[in-house]
Amino acid sequence: MNFRDLRLRVRAVFAPRRVERELDDELAFHIERETRKHVAAGLNLTDARARARARFGSAALAADQCRDARGTAFVDTAVRDDALRTFRRTPLVALTIVGTIAVGLGLVAAVFTIFNTFVFSVNPVRDPDALFAVERVAAPNSERVRFTWPDYEALRRETDVFSGAFARLVDIDSRIEGRVMGGELVTGNYFDVLGVNAALGRSLTPADDVRHAGRQVLVLSHRGWSRLFASDPDIVGREVTVGGFRYVIVGVMPERFRGLGLAPPDYWAPLSLMGQVRPIHAGREDTIGIEIIGRLKPGLSRTTALAGLAVWASRGAGGISADGRPGSITLEPRRTFVTLSAEVMLVFLPIFFVFGLILLIGCANVANLLLARALSRQREIGIRLSVGASRHRIIRQLLTESLVLALASAVCAFAIARLVLQVTVSVVLRTLPPELAENVSITAPGTDWRVAVFLVIAAIASTVLFGLVPALQGTRLDLIRTMRGEVTSDSRPRRARNALIVVQVTASALLLICASIFLRGALRASTADPGWRLADNVIVEINNEPFRQAMVAATTADPAVTMVAAMWPGVLGQPRAVFAQASGSPQAEGHRSPEAYRFVSPEYFNLLDIRVLRGRAFTQSEASSNAAVAMVSESTARTIWPNQEAVGQVLRLEADQHSETRRQDEPTLPSSTFTVVGVVRNVAGFRMAGYPEAGVYVPASPARAETDLIARVHGDPEIVRRTLLERLTSIDPNMGLVLTMRTLGRMETYLLQVGFWVTVVLGGLALILTVSGVFGVLSYLVERRTKEIGVRIALGATSANVTALVLGQSLRVVGIGLIAGAALAWILATVLMTTSAAAQIGGIVNVFDLPAYAASLLCIVIACILAASLPAARAARIDPIATLRQD
Amino acid sequence: MARQPVPDILAGTLDLLILRTLQHERRHGWAISERIQQISLDVLQVNQGSLYPALHRLEHQGWIDAEWGISELGRRAKYYRLTTAGRRQLAVEAGEWERMAAAIARVMKMA
Repeated sequence: MNFRDLRLRVRAVFAPRRVERELDDELAFHIERETRKHVAAGLNLTDARARARARFGSAALAADQCRDARGTAFVDTAVRDDALRTFRRTPLVALTIVGTIAVGLGLVAAVFTIFNTFVFSVNPVRDPDALFAVERVAAPNSERVRFTWPDYEALRRETDVFSGAFARLVDIDSRIEGRVMGGELVTGNYFDVLGVNAALGRSLTPADDVRHAGRQVLVLSHRGWSRLFASDPDIVGREVTVGGFRYVIVGVMPERFRGLGLAPPDYWAPLSLMGQVRPIHAGREDTIGIEIIGRLKPGLSRTTALAGLAVWASRGAGGISADGRPGSITLEPRRTFVTLSAEVMLVFLPIFFVFGLILLIGCANVANLLLARALSRQREIGIRLSVGASRHRIIRQLLTESLVLALASAVCAFAIARLVLQVTVSVVLRTLPPELAENVSITAPGTDWRVAVFLVIAAIASTVLFGLVPALQGTRLDLIRTMRGEVTSDSRPRRARNALIVVQVTASALLLICASIFLRGALRASTADPGWRLADNVIVEINNEPFRQAMVAATTADPAVTMVAAMWPGVLGQPRAVFAQASGSPQAEGHRSPEAYRFVSPEYFNLLDIRVLRGRAFTQSEASSNAAVAMVSESTARTIWPNQEAVGQVLRLEADQHSETRRQDEPTLPSSTFTVVGVVRNVAGFRMAGYPEAGVYVPASPARAETDLIARVHGDPEIVRRTLLERLTSIDPNMGLVLTMRTLGRMETYLLQVGFWVTVVLGGLALILTVSGVFGVLSYLVERRTKEIGVRIALGATSANVTALVLGQSLRVVGIGLIAGAALAWILATVLMTTSAAAQIGGIVNVFDLPAYAASLLCIVIACILAASLPAARAARIDPIATLRQD
Repeated sequence: MARQPVPDILAGTLDLLILRTLQHERRHGWAISERIQQISLDVLQVNQGSLYPALHRLEHQGWIDAEWGISELGRRAKYYRLTTAGRRQLAVEAGEWERMAAAIARVMKMA
């Protein structure tokens, strides 16, 4: 395309009338000049003009081809042919099409908006392309070892690949002045390296973050400022209490700055104050894993930088546990929140697929509608073809009509996507248990130009889906018969229509099967018994050891609390793995079996309704003295002492070195051999936890560090929870969570319910679209076949025959769709179970749940019969005399 | 069903003929077709329905330039003129044509 060409095209787009007039003038001049020539040769004016016209041929056609040469056909067709002219006459049809496509596009766009925030949305900092996180590569079958503060300092001292590098510790949820705030601890150069300035006051500086002398200052994010301080313009200089220390708010960051996460934390504070903000880390700051992110020096490639870092790592620098393996360090780009990878696509593709099904079904419906319309427009199209319009051109016009409608849908879809996201967020916040809802702050992800571009592309793609077949079918005409007013009934449109219904039924079946699998999973989960008494227990997490004694005393003293037990790990923590083995007499020395254990106080069993079957529970003195006694579950007892009474036996426990990374300060077993004093009922634990509950218990008291409390309360546990929370925050304003067991029980089914509602809404939409599609097609066919049906009735067909004819025609097609849908679901389920996530999925839902399959298929069959019965009834009522008299 | 214009001039040569007629002076569409007909002693008849699309195409390619002027009838007419790029193109296409014509002539004579 050269410059002249561009100029002409631009002119054709922006001054179309003028260009058109010039074209008309030019062609008219030619005919006029030719006429003059003939007149000069002696013809009279009329003959001369006729001859000139005849010689020229179709002026309209020539004009058309000139327009084609212009290369602005689309705009031309849209503007000059007035793409919406035909739809202006039938606004309801246009509205139906736009509505159907807009819902489909809106749903897909909502998913894309989330995808966009994760993958494409660039971190709002200076030159994000140069930002890389330094990470250790995990050795096979073990967790990644994180860098620590000494590593960070060594890296800054000993390498020179970064022009600046900062460290951070994220997701610090703490209770500040009674409210949970999410914070991020960062080194003083954080804002400087990212190149972001404060909107109000100042950001953090290296002077704020001197080791052992950090200034007690914090910087609010815009969200934290508006969420927690009502956008107070005089916020700078205000003091808040964090972990018992006074902190000064020195600044507020601009709204667009969200740090390097999906959403900004509420505040940033100097990393050197880690011990104050999280007292649990006090005194061992050097061992806490932190994240190191740096800005590569200009001109340095990732590979070169990585080589430099590898050399540094292999020197054994970086304090603890730096192994000399080559490739033990990687640089992860921090341009966006996550980098697009196969794993990310594995998560998002199924979601796109499921939501895209609605768009697909909608497109099928619209295609059906347009196929029917194309038939009623046969006359118009036939006339245009016979006066010389090319088929190519008419197809283009039909497609342009579709595209204009699709683009209108895309505009609506933009609004629908926002609505879907906002409604989802508010529904989630409203249905979450209150103690969780008050601590999370979910906002609908933002929209940007990428979503708009995505919508335009999706609109064009759906135009092809719903517009191409009708356009091709509608222009394949027998001209002569069309001109005579006969409607050509090609067999192909019927085939196309049937194929579309099969697609719709398949997709609806797939979605409804998913929905019923989730529903049955949720039902099963809600009836499953974790083995703990849930109704009236409240969990109290103790985060800060200095306050333990006061917290335990306050909890025990609460009038609503009747009993208190302690446990480690907490209800939500994974019991530590050990190898358990019978010990004592040599012949009893059995094989080592993997088990998990918890520290529990004597009240634990009574409080959570775990019956002691044989022997006895721990005594208070055993609990406070860390006695070497243990209790085992029924099944553990059976595994270790298959043919013997477990009570009184000696049990040897050996820590499993490989299964997990151990926190340095966690309680350790007091010895390696324990006397079994009791056997208790098995405890299943929460299904969502995904690990086996403890089979071995060792004694502890609430005074023991790290343990959490469980309190049996009377009255409404939720009210008790709130009063407890209030009382305890006055002791430790920085305390951890207080949760009712009932809430945890509810969380068990919550995610399944989310899955169920999402798929049921999608499945419902799919079913409505499918049913309306089936209904539309059948009504149309009955109308078209009125005469034929009239003849059949006249020849003696009963109304039952006619109903059967119409129903049979639709049910065959629906049947094919059902089989295809069920087969597809089964295949997808099989594929899913071969992936690494199989174990987890299998624990939550049964993807081969036959009753779920049957129920959803039945649901579709009933819906389709209902949709078909109306046209069938109408067919049965056809009056043969009236139809035969029609011509 | 699409009606392709019947090429009454050897396919692909219309562009060449148009460029050649415009080599020395600007002409409007009718004059171009008249000129081709006259010079070829009525052997080559330009299908007028394909002349104008060709002119528009050449204009878009930047080989000819259009301007409005007053015609011999005293009426406004659209005149076409060869551009510098068009002159180069004419030279290329004329060369091609001669090579082709000579080749065909040789085949006719000797094969």
